[in-house]
Amino acid sequence: MDKFIVNIIHRPEMVPEYAEKVTGHGKEEDIGRKALLTESLDIFKFQQEMAHKYGLKTTIQMTYASLFNEEAVQIAKEHHEKYGDEIALSLLGLPCTEFREKYKTKDFCIWMFSMEDKKSIVDDVFGKFYDIFGFYPESTGSYYMDADLINYVKEAYPSVKCAVATCWEEGPKAYHTCNNSWYTFMDGGPWNPWIPSKQNSHAPAANEAEDSGIVAIPHLSRDLLACYDGNGSNFGTHPQNVLRGMIYDTETWDYPYLYNLIDQYRDLEKYNNGYAYNMMFVGPGWLNKMGRWEAPYELLAKSYEDGMKYYGELKEQGKLTDMTMAEFADYYRQKKTYTEPECALWRDILYGSDKQLFWYCDPYMRACVNMDQGGAIVDLRPYAAKLEWPVGIGTKHVTDASYPFLIQEKYRAGYFTHYAGEGTVRSAKLKYNGEEVDLCLCRTKAHFSQEGNTRVLTLDPVDIEFYDLTVKLQSVISFEEGSSDIKIERRILEMSNPEAQVEINEYMVACYGTTEYSEDMTGITLSAKKGEEVQSLSYEYKCRDIEMAGADEVRAIVPQIETAVSMRSNAETAVGYVKEGYAFSPMFTLGYTAQVKDKEVIATWLKLEKAN
Amino acid sequence: MAQAGKGKLNYRCPSCFMRDLDIDMFYQKETDEFYCIRCQYRGNEKDVLEKNEMVRFRYGAMAKRYTKFDFD
Repeated sequence: MDKFIVNIIHRPEMVPEYAEKVTGHGKEEDIGRKALLTESLDIFKFQQEMAHKYGLKTTIQMTYASLFNEEAVQIAKEHHEKYGDEIALSLLGLPCTEFREKYKTKDFCIWMFSMEDKKSIVDDVFGKFYDIFGFYPESTGSYYMDADLINYVKEAYPSVKCAVATCWEEGPKAYHTCNNSWYTFMDGGPWNPWIPSKQNSHAPAANEAEDSGIVAIPHLSRDLLACYDGNGSNFGTHPQNVLRGMIYDTETWDYPYLYNLIDQYRDLEKYNNGYAYNMMFVGPGWLNKMGRWEAPYELLAKSYEDGMKYYGELKEQGKLTDMTMAEFADYYRQKKTYTEPECALWRDILYGSDKQLFWYCDPYMRACVNMDQGGAIVDLRPYAAKLEWPVGIGTKHVTDASYPFLIQEKYRAGYFTHYAGEGTVRSAKLKYNGEEVDLCLCRTKAHFSQEGNTRVLTLDPVDIEFYDLTVKLQSVISFEEGSSDIKIERRILEMSNPEAQVEINEYMVACYGTTEYSEDMTGITLSAKKGEEVQSLSYEYKCRDIEMAGADEVRAIVPQIETAVSMRSNAETAVGYVKEGYAFSPMFTLGYTAQVKDKEVIATWLKLEKAN
Repeated sequence: MAQAGKGKLNYRCPSCFMRDLDIDMFYQKETDEFYCIRCQYRGNEKDVLEKNEMVRFRYGAMAKRYTKFDFD
């Protein structure tokens, strides 16, 4: 049976993020100001009232600061009794006088503390929660929770079964939007709930041994096209984020985009065995009585009520099930297997471009296929490596929690349009009589199907026009559950000259990193293999290449991210090749060229593995 | 002139918004204008609101209510 589930989460944050700076502009910082505390609690009460008004239950994530506030505690108890709300515990909202006095820091993001402090803070917060409520929570969360933190929480507090564990694509784009003042990066994770692995919380567990013991949910349900391209904080199931993006009519205060976003998430049940999910989690700072940026309080409040009202209407119509986080974790464990992927064929619902992306996530990879670029893979995260990547003070990654990419078209150019260099992308080029056409320039649409354990994306055929030859080509992209492979088939449906022969070059330009800036490529090994014969080179920015007719495989090993990526082809005439980059263009290329004729079909596989 | 402050609403710079930057502007009461501390934009409230309408040009489907999300 199809099911669309929503988690609505509220937190009584006694010093809301943003509010202190905004409401307190021109005053000395004082996080104990009475006006601030009163306003914060009022916002929480308003949010709870709106959810209950429309018949929705919530998860109340108590903050550390709110555990010192009798009224907040009392409200949580009452609403648990009356409405069935879950009383949970957030690791957000740490700042308060008590916290500052004990930890002597203004840091507030749990994932960026030292491991020693993480444990101490978790113990303090969970201990205080137990003192107040007499039990340990089943749900927790933050904007990000690194694997070491999750593992510790689960070990010390085994009652925890659900956590908010990432903000989808909140990396360099969010950093830039905040004028480079936001030092926390968490790109590269799943957009919908998953079971985090013990090794890296972005990467889903492949089996019980890797299972961290919790179900993770993202902070908000984000627009899978707009957030990938732009600022993540404008395009999510967060009414005030939609206002932040100025995506509303200033005369009527209408915002159909918010409803389109919720509805497109509902539509994803088609690709996920009848299951779809939404999460709304608005911090109180967004409902500031003084307004927020251009939006007066009345508009902020209206948009929040409208969001709740829409979920309430869907519930009334039997199209939505509201759950607490703990209830959802139980449902998810029952519904999903470890290897079942999360899929999203996503349409532009904002800019009017009709662009279409396909997102795929399983324990071995996260991939994005761009139909506006002929089905090119434009983002690829090798979860197969299950990269251990400790985060926070005292580690190599104090602020950077992103899962590294091999391909990222926004940070590393994608299909290349400038005058020198290359960009990361997995595509193909067709060559005929000295002309060359890249499929990235063939805009098309895709259709999803499932054949057994394989998710198949069938693209509408495209025409490739050479001076005296037209080739009609169809791409079919398959993801076999648990295989760690992406199979790409090219079907030559028709040639205007049936005797013609065209060269197809299946290629992947890649590198590694988490930001726009290049990393050291030294030591990456590129190789081609045929039977026992192996030719290889170690990356030294020397622009070298290797070509091998009939190669079984071409491969790159990227020790920096413990990843091996390889390609193989079934074309009889295939020639495998690898290309080293150079300082101005620090990339590498894996590929195969082959001759194809009318009605022929060739397939190429891209495989991801752990290399250590 | 005295130091700048915040206006009654916390307007962002429309010019920076168009390049995906959220920059709060400051308000100069003597000249009744908002100005951006990062770029060169400055304007009164009327001008800010007009420019905010302009930045919405990118949202070609902002007013559209979708009922279909695939191309099947």
